[in-house]
Amino acid sequence: MSISRITGSGGFKAALVEIAPGERFMSESGAMFRSSDNVEIDVTTRTRSTGGLFAGIRRMFAGESFFLSEYWTMDGRPGEIGLAPKLPGEVAVIDCTGYGRWVCAGGSYVGSSESIDLDTQFQGIGGVFSGESLSFLEAAGKGELIVSAFGAIREIGVDGAFTVDTGHVVAFQDSLEYSLGKAGGSWLQSFLASEGVTLNFTGRGRLYVQSHNPDEWGHSLGRLLPPRRE
Amino acid sequence: MEYRIVGGPTYSILEVALDPRESVVAESGAMAWMSGSIELSTSARGGLFSSLRRSALGGESFFQNVFEARDTPGAVTLSPAQPGDIVMVDLSRGDLLMEDGAFLASVRDVSIDSSFQGFRGLFNEGLFILRASGSGSLFLSGYGDIQEIEVDGSYIVDNGHAVAWEPTLRYEITRGRSIRSFLFSDQILLRFSGRGKLWVQSRNPQALADWVYPFRSVVREDKDDEDRDDRER
Repeated sequence: MSISRITGSGGFKAALVEIAPGERFMSESGAMFRSSDNVEIDVTTRTRSTGGLFAGIRRMFAGESFFLSEYWTMDGRPGEIGLAPKLPGEVAVIDCTGYGRWVCAGGSYVGSSESIDLDTQFQGIGGVFSGESLSFLEAAGKGELIVSAFGAIREIGVDGAFTVDTGHVVAFQDSLEYSLGKAGGSWLQSFLASEGVTLNFTGRGRLYVQSHNPDEWGHSLGRLLPPRRE
Repeated sequence: MEYRIVGGPTYSILEVALDPRESVVAESGAMAWMSGSIELSTSARGGLFSSLRRSALGGESFFQNVFEARDTPGAVTLSPAQPGDIVMVDLSRGDLLMEDGAFLASVRDVSIDSSFQGFRGLFNEGLFILRASGSGSLFLSGYGDIQEIEVDGSYIVDNGHAVAWEPTLRYEITRGRSIRSFLFSDQILLRFSGRGKLWVQSRNPQALADWVYPFRSVVREDKDDEDRDDRER
C-alpha cells in the first residue's frame, strides 16, 4: 500500500508519497513537483470504476482538470512522488479504509490511491445561488486521499448539527447528512450579510474545513487586476 | 559576519550582523530594514558586461547592492520577494547553478554570472541560468518550502519547482515517457542525473498566477471595437 507523509512545518505543506511496486497513485494534473526517476507518469481521463471519457468530462465540470495524472514504478522497486497544491496552505492525508465514502471539494483534491474510485456529485447546483464554483468529488474505497486547504486545515468531529460555508469545506464523510442552505434566517438576510451558500450537516462523521475561502480571495484579487479581453 | 534566518519556513527573512569592514551582497530590492550605520553601495557587480548578461539573460537584476558596516557594527535584514523558505549553501563545496530569482544574498567573495544552457534553456525560463562561484555563504530563497534532495542516479523535478543544483548534476528536459503524457500534460519536467545536491521549492509562482487569472473581470473586445467605430464616425 502506498504511504503518504506530509512535508513542511509551516504554511506551505506538501505530500511525499511512497509508491509500492505494482501500485498506482493518481493526482490532480500537474500536482507532481518531484519524483524519483523510476516513476512513470501517464495522463488519464478515467478512474477504474467510473471509466471512460464521460467521467473525465464530468470531472472537468467539477472544477478539476479534465485529466488526472497517474503514477507507477517501472522497475519493480518502490518510488516516490511529491505532490503540492497550487495555493499556500496545509495538506492532510485521509485514510479512507473502512470509512465508507468521502466527499471532497473539487478544489481541495490533490491525489489518491488507485484503489479509491473517484466520482463527481451534484455539480453546478450551488453555482446558481452563490456564483461560487460549488463542485464536489466523491471518493470511495481503500487507501489514501490527499486533500489541501487554503490556509489552515481543521478536523471537526460532527455530532448533531453543523453549518459550514461551502467555500470552507475541504472534505467530509458521507455518513453525514447534508443539504445546501443559507447562514441567515432567510435568503435575503443571507444575501445582505454577504454570507453565501452553506452546507448544513446533521448526524455523525468527520469533516475537514479550511481557514480561508479561495473564491473570496480570488475575487478580491481579481478586482485589483486589469480586466482581461475576450 | 553572523546571520540568522527567522520567521521560517513560511515567511523567512535573513538577518545579517556585520562587524566593521564587513559586507553582504544582496539582490536588488531585498533590503527590508537596517541599522543607520550600514552604508549601501550599488554597483554593476563583476563589471558591466557580466552584469548585462546577468540581467538580460539570467533574469536577475542588473544591479546588486552591497551593504557594509563602516566604523561601527550594524545589522541588515534582507527579505525575498515571495513568502517561503531561505537556505544557506556553502560554496566551499563547489559552484552552484541557480534558477532565475533564487539568489537572495551572498558574502562578497561569491561571484554570480550567467551560464549558457543552450537548447535546453529554451524550455527552461531562459537560455541562461545563474552560476555562483567563489567561497563562503550563499543564500537561496524559494516560494514555499525548500526541500534538499541528495541525487545519486537521477531525479525528476517540475520545471517551475527547481531552485538550485550542484554542477555535478546534468539536466535534460523531459515530459514523461508515454506519448499521452507528452501530448496532454502541460508539465515540463527536468531530469537531473549524476551525483549531487538539488534544491526544490514546494510551490510554483506561475501556478499561483494561473490560478488568479480567471478571477479577473472580462472586457468584450467587440464592444471596444464598436466604441472606436463610434468615435471615428
